[in-house]
Amino acid sequence: MEEKTIIDLAYSDLAVVYGVILFLVGLSRWQQIGQERALLIAAARMGVQLLAAGYLLHLIFALQSPWPVMLILVVMGVFAIQTVASRVKTRIPRFYTIVTSSIFIGCGVMTFFFCQIVIGLEPWYDPRYLIPLTGMIIGNSMTGASLAAERLASEMKERRDEIETALCLGASSRMAAFDVVRSAFRAALIPSINSMAAMGIVFLPGMMTGQILSGTEPMIAVKYQIAIMCAITGSVAVTSLLILIQGRRAYFTGAHQLIDR
Amino acid sequence: MMEVLRAEGIFKSRTDSRKGLTKEILKGIDLSLGKGELWALIGPSGGGKTTLIRLFNRLEEPSAGRILFHGQDIRDGNPLELRRRVMLIQQKAFMFSGTVLDNLQRSFVLGGEAPPPADDRRIRRAVDLCCLPANLIGEEARALSAGQQQRVHLARGLLCRPEILILDEGTSALDRPTAEELISNFRNLCREEGLTILMVSHDLPLMERAADKGLYLEGGKILEQGAAPDFFRKPESPQMIRFMAEMPARGE
Repeated sequence: MEEKTIIDLAYSDLAVVYGVILFLVGLSRWQQIGQERALLIAAARMGVQLLAAGYLLHLIFALQSPWPVMLILVVMGVFAIQTVASRVKTRIPRFYTIVTSSIFIGCGVMTFFFCQIVIGLEPWYDPRYLIPLTGMIIGNSMTGASLAAERLASEMKERRDEIETALCLGASSRMAAFDVVRSAFRAALIPSINSMAAMGIVFLPGMMTGQILSGTEPMIAVKYQIAIMCAITGSVAVTSLLILIQGRRAYFTGAHQLIDR
Repeated sequence: MMEVLRAEGIFKSRTDSRKGLTKEILKGIDLSLGKGELWALIGPSGGGKTTLIRLFNRLEEPSAGRILFHGQDIRDGNPLELRRRVMLIQQKAFMFSGTVLDNLQRSFVLGGEAPPPADDRRIRRAVDLCCLPANLIGEEARALSAGQQQRVHLARGLLCRPEILILDEGTSALDRPTAEELISNFRNLCREEGLTILMVSHDLPLMERAADKGLYLEGGKILEQGAAPDFFRKPESPQMIRFMAEMPARGE
């Protein structure tokens, strides 16, 4: 097969393309849209952050050791937990314990399953695969976790009467909160379901586009995309379910009493 | 008289997590309810009535003291079983989605029984006792009037076959004749089947006619208790005298 190499971009090419941003800044000033500052800062942040990430990856690829890879994955997990914490306004009890354990277990299990059992990475820590794939799994699970935690907390508050009515009739805490947990789980899964259903028609997913651009045979890229989407949906489901089960327990005492908040 | 429920030295404090203040709501409650008695629990709002009755079916735990049901500390038993035997009808008549029948069937399902049909003897009886028109049974529960929902709420509780029925303002949304009829039905349940009822209500004339005994709770303490009609007519504590004078006589 003919070897295709990707066209590298020179830094001067980047300078040229940043010209688009500068043009927008000019336009914004001229039309008094008032977004010049935000545009400049965002564009500058993007450049700095991505170049730093690129150098870091470059370094890790060269090191050929599992430790830095594991460190990166843990850092990604910690950022995901912080993001969930910043997005969720109504907190469930024991928020950090529950969200941390759920993200690490949910994403960990699905990443292991996907990289070791489905792809069969060799060596197991190959950063070229492990880092971007785990990133996608964590990123999506983070969104699912936020939705599940937020929905659980708000519904447990709003539907207090319903839950206590069921408790008074002899329902266990699990039964009394069943509808709440179910609707929160549904909310967490909606983005994954929508994006799977729209894929290939409404948009070409980023990973697949990237693989095709870097010379991968389209059918291989498609297979990877299908596989990662299944892993993402699985991880979103496992992570949110762990949050919901632990979260529901945190709202009740052992004697099936709704705790006072 | 056979005692069914007994409270000994009940204290309950609650902490406001935002302000960090702990407030004592119940300050040493002792009471004893006998089988087949109908009790009225009266007193001003904020006096601790709702907090007290939530302890009887273990929706909450007291901070100190103990509650005995048939002589056994309720903390030693299964709370789910207790809640079906000591039925608390909360003030808010929450309707589950679905029809009136769906709501009534839930009492059976939560007790581990198959849901009976609409013409089941037990369902017809509960509907009659609660003065619900039988033709409402197929209606969407949330579309009913407040008074009708309140009666579905009561019937749902009765269907769990409790030994003690605790009503928190259980007739507040009913018109005078319906409230009278319903309470008279409930009184018969006390007489004929030995059901014990504890009613929290602000409807003093109704309570005076229906109750065997009364408890006056204010500031977290039971200031007066005794048998009707003297309990209602000859209060001794200055607090209860003031309360009775200020309450507008409803109905009549």
